[in-house]
Amino acid sequence: MAAAKADAGSVRSGMAGTVCPAVDEAGAAGPAMEEAGAAGPVEPEPEVPPPPLPGLQLVRQGAEAHVYRGLFLGRAAVAKLRVPKRYRHPALEERLSRRRTAQEARSLLRCRRAGISAPAVYFVDSVTNSIYLEDIVDSVTVQDHINSVQRSGNCTSSLVPLAEKMGELLARMHDEDLIHGDLTTCNILLRPPTEKLDLVLIDFGLSFISGLPEDKGVDLYVLEKAFLSTHPDTEALFQALLKTYAAASKKSGPVIKRLDEVRLRGRKRSMIG
Amino acid sequence: MQVTHRLELFPEHSVTILLFNRVGNAAALRKKAMEGAIEGALINPVMIVDPFQILVAANKAVHLHKIGKMKTKSLYAEIIFSLSPNNNISDAFKKFGISDSDTAVLIVLVVDREKPVNLEDIASQVEGQQVSLDELPQLTDTDKVKKMYKITPQEEKMNTLLDSIVCRMSTKDVL
Repeated sequence: MAAAKADAGSVRSGMAGTVCPAVDEAGAAGPAMEEAGAAGPVEPEPEVPPPPLPGLQLVRQGAEAHVYRGLFLGRAAVAKLRVPKRYRHPALEERLSRRRTAQEARSLLRCRRAGISAPAVYFVDSVTNSIYLEDIVDSVTVQDHINSVQRSGNCTSSLVPLAEKMGELLARMHDEDLIHGDLTTCNILLRPPTEKLDLVLIDFGLSFISGLPEDKGVDLYVLEKAFLSTHPDTEALFQALLKTYAAASKKSGPVIKRLDEVRLRGRKRSMIG
Repeated sequence: MQVTHRLELFPEHSVTILLFNRVGNAAALRKKAMEGAIEGALINPVMIVDPFQILVAANKAVHLHKIGKMKTKSLYAEIIFSLSPNNNISDAFKKFGISDSDTAVLIVLVVDREKPVNLEDIASQVEGQQVSLDELPQLTDTDKVKKMYKITPQEEKMNTLLDSIVCRMSTKDVL
């Protein structure tokens, strides 16, 4: 079952399309790959043996992959082991699996080359299409951070610098024509100490390369939906994010325009204009 | 002194890394390695930033060896090839293997649990002094490394050199 087991407050290396477990499952608007444990599965989940890493800890058991933390070659690492989908034709399954893993690895490398913080790839297992990545130790997801700030009663405006940093980061990513594909606040990590606002992007399983303002607009829209539904009363924050994005990105004009158009589409929206 | 690490994903294998300095017979060693007379990969420590880099290369080489998808003819050649950021085998040997004039040599052994390899045997073939791997940073030529792996200046600012290198090594064939 895709019941995401929340690891309270600790490192999150989410996987493609999974609902962030912290606050509200129903709210997530990310491209949901799997129902949040709604309907029961017909057959039990296929066996995905855990990797034999010392200090092994299951972080998340999702639809796309099982995520573990442990020591790999002496370093703190995250292992994403893909879950094979038995209902798919095996040839298709193999091809899809391989392509997703390759996309993820490629995007991570592309990020690094552009100076965008993303985990380093330690090993790509071409047989199981699993990937072993750097573990950003003691990090918190932006989602957890925002929640804790809001819960402790602090004014949301203290989060504006964070939102601006996020806007900057996304601008740099989109300027590299890299579309994340699953932008949510649990796919952005804050390296310790949190005051430094050192952000790391993770989970590039649904990423792809595109220069189209449409794709970038949709990427931002996904984040907007996820942001506003998971974190109440943060419209101003997201506005600040967009403002910085527009200022930092050289190609932002058409993207923001597209974003406005995309907002008019979607569910429960009139198709006029 | 030397570093040994058991590969988590391939528990029957462990990797041992030895570093030798003030080596006098690099040419003879290279010849022996080419003939396959030495049970180990001979690597130029100038291009190595950290033993982790070797472990990642060895892990990948053992993985490919197990599934029969090595690009080179032997496991040790594959380790050297895995260190390279590109897919040119002879270039990898030229840059990461040892040359006749080298005075420092890194030897990597992959030990099978059933067949224990004699460390003294390897060490005796080297006309040099075995030193601790802690001395590796003194031997590394970081400029050469940056050039070889084509590390961009903005990348340098954000990440450690080791992470950038390892990332390139592991995603080389996926790109």
